[in-house]
Amino acid sequence: MTVFPSMVFGLMLVTLGLLGVLTLRLASRSRLQKVAIEQLNEALQRSREFVEQQKSKLAMRSDLEMVKDEFISTVSHELRTPLTSIRGALGLLSAGLLGNVDPKAQNLLRIASTNTERLIRLINDILDLERMESGRAPLKLRRCSMYDLAREAVDTMTTVADGAGIRIELNSNAPRDSIYFDADSDRILQVLTNLLSNAIKFSPAASTVSVQIDSNPNSLLLRVVDPGRGIPLDKLDAVFDRFQQVESSDSSKKGGTGLGLAICRSIIQQHGGAIWAQPNRGGPGTTLWVQLSRSARASDAASPGLLEPPGERGEGLILVCDDDPGIRVVVAEQLRQHGYEILEAGSGEEAIALAKKFSAPGAGKNGTASKPISAILLDLYMPGFSGWETLHQLREIPATASIPVVILSVIPPTDRPANAASAQGWVQKPFNENLLLAELGRVLRVKEGSGHILLVEQDQALAQLILGSFQKSGMRIDHAATLQQAVDRCLLGSPDLLILDLTLPDGDGFSLVEWLRRQPGLRALPLVVYSGREMTEPEMAKLRLGPTEFLHKEKVQPGQVEEVVLEMVQRLRNPAAVA
Amino acid sequence: MRNILIIDDEDDIREVAALSLEATAGWDITTACCGADGIRAASDPERRPHAILMDVMMPGMDGPTTFRKMQLDPEIAGIPVLLLTAKVQGVDQRRFAGLGVSGVLFKPFDPLTLAAQISEALGWKD
Repeated sequence: MTVFPSMVFGLMLVTLGLLGVLTLRLASRSRLQKVAIEQLNEALQRSREFVEQQKSKLAMRSDLEMVKDEFISTVSHELRTPLTSIRGALGLLSAGLLGNVDPKAQNLLRIASTNTERLIRLINDILDLERMESGRAPLKLRRCSMYDLAREAVDTMTTVADGAGIRIELNSNAPRDSIYFDADSDRILQVLTNLLSNAIKFSPAASTVSVQIDSNPNSLLLRVVDPGRGIPLDKLDAVFDRFQQVESSDSSKKGGTGLGLAICRSIIQQHGGAIWAQPNRGGPGTTLWVQLSRSARASDAASPGLLEPPGERGEGLILVCDDDPGIRVVVAEQLRQHGYEILEAGSGEEAIALAKKFSAPGAGKNGTASKPISAILLDLYMPGFSGWETLHQLREIPATASIPVVILSVIPPTDRPANAASAQGWVQKPFNENLLLAELGRVLRVKEGSGHILLVEQDQALAQLILGSFQKSGMRIDHAATLQQAVDRCLLGSPDLLILDLTLPDGDGFSLVEWLRRQPGLRALPLVVYSGREMTEPEMAKLRLGPTEFLHKEKVQPGQVEEVVLEMVQRLRNPAAVA
Repeated sequence: MRNILIIDDEDDIREVAALSLEATAGWDITTACCGADGIRAASDPERRPHAILMDVMMPGMDGPTTFRKMQLDPEIAGIPVLLLTAKVQGVDQRRFAGLGVSGVLFKPFDPLTLAAQISEALGWKD
């Protein structure tokens, strides 16, 4: 009997002890939970603070915009007021309304008058450009007729042309119902008037300036051809920059502000179109080309808010690697809204670890995600492991070697260094949502799709040879024989790769590349230039879009083009296999 | 003969505008250097203006305020008013158009065509 109570006592002791341990354990667990909750709270607080900071940064930016607005408005008002007196006084004096003036004094008055006019134009142009480029002058789109707008511009400029002894001719090959397009008519009229004014300024007396309109179901093409002194090849692009004139004395001799073409480019880009200059074939002078889509589309360049986001929804798991948490948050949120799932990495090491984990066989079975990584967005400049090193490492590891990588960098895609060859995409910072989505979409399509190639070649026989060689490849290949056909094909459905001949009947390969570069979804398109002549380094730089190869027609037979293209596509899809 | 009242705080602009209208159209010009003076001048039954050309930005009472005040006086409410402004931004233009003025002209104006611009805005044929 003594045993029993002691056993009971012993058991009680053990139970108590166990209970005690359990209580202690539970207590320590709840302590742990408490700590965890505190940490979570802290993290939440931090992320709230971060969001607040970002918000106040945004608010500050819009405040700054307002200050800038106010400043420009005030400055322009303050400059206009004294100019009103000066212009008025000079105008009255030089018109001789207050009595005759000595011829020498008359000449001085004329100088003062013309320069006052120039100053006024300059203030107007600066204000105009500033407003457009800040996106504060949204387009008022409506259906209009290109022919009517061109007619109106020609009528407006006829007096000036007559004064210079120049004839303006307006031609249209377009059927009447195909010249309608969506545009801000005042803005387009401004462009046409400006182009005509330039053409008149630089053409010799007794010559003809011609305006030509062509159209097709998707786009309109307008040309202003002048027989003037022409633009040197190295300035064909630069003339669209601010204060870039062919000769530095032009602004005083020709009375321009040096902003006209910059304004034109801004307007056309806002409409989602393209504008470029080309020397006339077999004669002096220049042709200014304007290409506009017939349905309303605004581009990202001038007004980031206006571009319609790509309609298709994304799919897949995207790893976003950037050391800046702000960029990660923003990019992740944008991609999530378009249907992507997101993984974030704050460093190259972390990215590699995640990529390994989520690409290994059985990825997703650990309950964190249901699919392998579809693509990686990679920042180039990160402390520690740089984007370059990360990219290199990813390609070394078999499991991650074939994951497409899109580089995010301040370097423009045209200057991408050679060691970036194993990256499939490139987006320049600062980027906007649509640019990023377009490039990511393209990269994912190339990875998955059967491949769609566009051959731009004016020589029919040669085109047939190349098309034939692709028959067995399982790729879709389309053919465009002119610049305009190529533009249309690209607008219809963006190809995954372009084979480009440089000589085209209605322009050249350079103009097409220039146009592609302005299209958000096409500016990093892989390109094979198949040309009949040796390229100079600056020419190659001008042509480089995405990954670009240069083939010489004499060295590479048409039948061999397919081989090069297939290898390129293979490399783009699976860099490790070829490297 | 037409009589025009010019209201502007800038002495030089008043003088140039007056000279321009006198020399090109032969109109009779009265000037005032602020809104209050302008209303006083317009109220003079001896020299009631056929039209008023008024600056927008003036110290004290600005152009739009002066215009609204004029509308309260039945004697001068019927005189057409043209605003003369150095502000060319869309927002400002829409604001002015909403006031009910007869037109908006922009600075810097061309002294040789100012009279023609006024006539056109007011539908004067002569």
